[in-house]
Amino acid sequence: MKIKVAKDQILKGLQITQGIIGARSTLPILSNVLVETDEDKLWLTATDLEVSVRCAIPAEIEKSGSTTLPAKTLFSIIRELSATDIAIEVDDKNSASLTSGASFFKILGLPKEEFPPLPKFDSGFAYNLDQAVLRDMLVKTSYASSSDETRQFLNGVLLSFKNDKLTAVATDGRRLALNEHDLECPKDQEADLIIPTKAVAELLHSLGSEGTVKIRAVKNQVSFEFGNLLLLSKLIEGNYPNFRQVIPSQAEHRIQIEREALFSAVKRVALLTSDRSNSVKLTFAKNKVVISAQTPDIGEAYESIPVKFTGAELNVAFNPEFIMDPLRRLTSDEVYLEFNDELSPGVIKCDTPFLYVLMPMRIG
Amino acid sequence: MRVLLHLDMDAFFASIEQHDRPELRGKPVIVGSPPDKRGVVATASYEARTFGIHSAMPSRTAYRLCPDAVFVTPRMARYAEVSDRVMAILNAFSPDLEPVSVDEAFLDLGGVLHFWPSPEALARALKQRIRDELGLSASVGIASNKFLAKIGSDLNKPDGLTLMPVDPEAVVAFLAPFPVSRIFGVGEATARILTQHGIRTIGQLQAVPRVQLVPLFGDLFARHLHDLARGLDDRPLVMDWEEKSISNETTFEEDCASPDILRQTLIELAEHVGRRLRRNGKRAKTVQIKVRFPDFKTLTRQVSLPEPINTDHELLRAGFTLYEKLAVRGPLRLLGFGVSALVLPGEAQPPRQALLFEEAPRARRQKDVRLDQAVDALREKFGKTILTRGGKAP
Repeated sequence: MKIKVAKDQILKGLQITQGIIGARSTLPILSNVLVETDEDKLWLTATDLEVSVRCAIPAEIEKSGSTTLPAKTLFSIIRELSATDIAIEVDDKNSASLTSGASFFKILGLPKEEFPPLPKFDSGFAYNLDQAVLRDMLVKTSYASSSDETRQFLNGVLLSFKNDKLTAVATDGRRLALNEHDLECPKDQEADLIIPTKAVAELLHSLGSEGTVKIRAVKNQVSFEFGNLLLLSKLIEGNYPNFRQVIPSQAEHRIQIEREALFSAVKRVALLTSDRSNSVKLTFAKNKVVISAQTPDIGEAYESIPVKFTGAELNVAFNPEFIMDPLRRLTSDEVYLEFNDELSPGVIKCDTPFLYVLMPMRIG
Repeated sequence: MRVLLHLDMDAFFASIEQHDRPELRGKPVIVGSPPDKRGVVATASYEARTFGIHSAMPSRTAYRLCPDAVFVTPRMARYAEVSDRVMAILNAFSPDLEPVSVDEAFLDLGGVLHFWPSPEALARALKQRIRDELGLSASVGIASNKFLAKIGSDLNKPDGLTLMPVDPEAVVAFLAPFPVSRIFGVGEATARILTQHGIRTIGQLQAVPRVQLVPLFGDLFARHLHDLARGLDDRPLVMDWEEKSISNETTFEEDCASPDILRQTLIELAEHVGRRLRRNGKRAKTVQIKVRFPDFKTLTRQVSLPEPINTDHELLRAGFTLYEKLAVRGPLRLLGFGVSALVLPGEAQPPRQALLFEEAPRARRQKDVRLDQAVDALREKFGKTILTRGGKAP
């Protein structure tokens, strides 16, 4: 194999593969990146056996071939090179010679055959979606997923293709974020896919604002194809909890509030909470909501925001992070708060098909 | 320099029985399984020990050695009650107290020595008070660290009082004749490896440079052996109220590769930790497991939980999640389970996060709590082997 490639192109590709390769691989081959020539481009592939990424970069191919090279070493070398072009030549012993300007490196690889094969996606399940739409859906939901490793089925985002809608849901059992997008879903292509957190993070990192993404799935694998990238991931097995049943069907009260104002008030008041007593109180009174925190040994804070409210006074306590999480990611100027009483879930909505259910804190 | 005292009650269970039942005094008493059942001696009175009977010996063997011995079934609740009183007396002498087990504790005398003419005078008064109030005898070791104090309390049993040397050279010479098994952390497996290298006594171990121990035991444990062989030990006392973690580990007699035994061991370790947590009404936010391979390579994995836990069901679920994630292949030398980030019962209850999918887990939790209470009570009364978890763990 003999190729020429631009430094910033290959660097960009290696940067993406670096995100996949774990620091503690169990198999040596998983620390390597698979390098394959293909007409006028080079494919770089990395996997941790859960999530794999394949990325194409333009290259001048003089002699086709393939090998695997230690990803971290390759990345560190190329990052430090001063010239803009790099020539790579690999012999049949998988030893690669890198020449760039006055620099020369020889690094030892492993045979391509040792690299784990990627899953094949030959079934009919396929959807096309705007990259920006998928990205937006993940941005507005993924933060609510659980990192509790004892509940693996919550360690990701559910993408549910059903009833002519794509629904993205994430929950950690304390709050739940949901976003919907109209999408034609033929009956034989309905499915619930739980995408693991690591793959979601890669998508958030790599999805752009233009172009489409093709989503395919087979039994326990999903793939996202967009731009010059192919991201493959294992699906989380297990049944996602019935999230529809925890969404309150009606609300006693609904108030409209300026998103920024609510966000920054909660952020300020939360300064006087502690790890041990991590809650802010929302007091709904005549035409205002008072956000407050009282923490023993620390102090107290109050801030009020005018809203339209006429019912009897009502207090609800929440974890301030859980209020701020959706607010900092939404874009609409106004949001709606819906609630019934101090022990029932609160709901945050906005003008787009977004919904956030939040359980209160029980005090005492 | 620290002044630490280690107190070890003499033949604790047997002495309590002899105190409570005067007719047993002066007779060989064995607390443990009856001689016609499978089971072992928990404690033998000093009269019984003259026949060569010791704890952990099968009761049948003990019976053969001394057919006249009186066998008594353990009354754990009573021993726990006496233990509480021993600890209360110790606490009156110095509040810097670390209970190690029912019949053993460390006491830091640093803050109270100025009330006494000498550490020895304090120790005499302490022993006398235990004798006056409880009718029991105890052995005491006084030294500059935990390791030496514990060796001291064992030297002149029963009713012993031993002042350990202080000068570093004297300490090294003092320790030299003892077998390596006296060193904290040296169990049968480590002792066997040392023996294979011709090291049986602490003195022989002192002669080995640390770098030669590293390939055998890894860096950390090599340092441990090297330091303790010279009587160097800077472990602090762990006061009950500031106990930051609870853990339990087992070194297998022979490296263990059986998935069933490993699973069962993990269950027992976790249950033991669970019992200790619940006994003090504590809950834990972090669960950790530890595995050590035959080459001493050691891995730990931990998980932080959104809500603190203390039921066996929850502890086992977390433990097995970690264990499965490690995907252990091949035999293990050691398996450990621990919890940290403990939440004390006395602490004011912080606001509790309500849960979305609560109904089923909550009912399940209530059942788990009741089950643990029942099991703990049975084990407290009849010993921990009375019940064993069957089938697969969650």
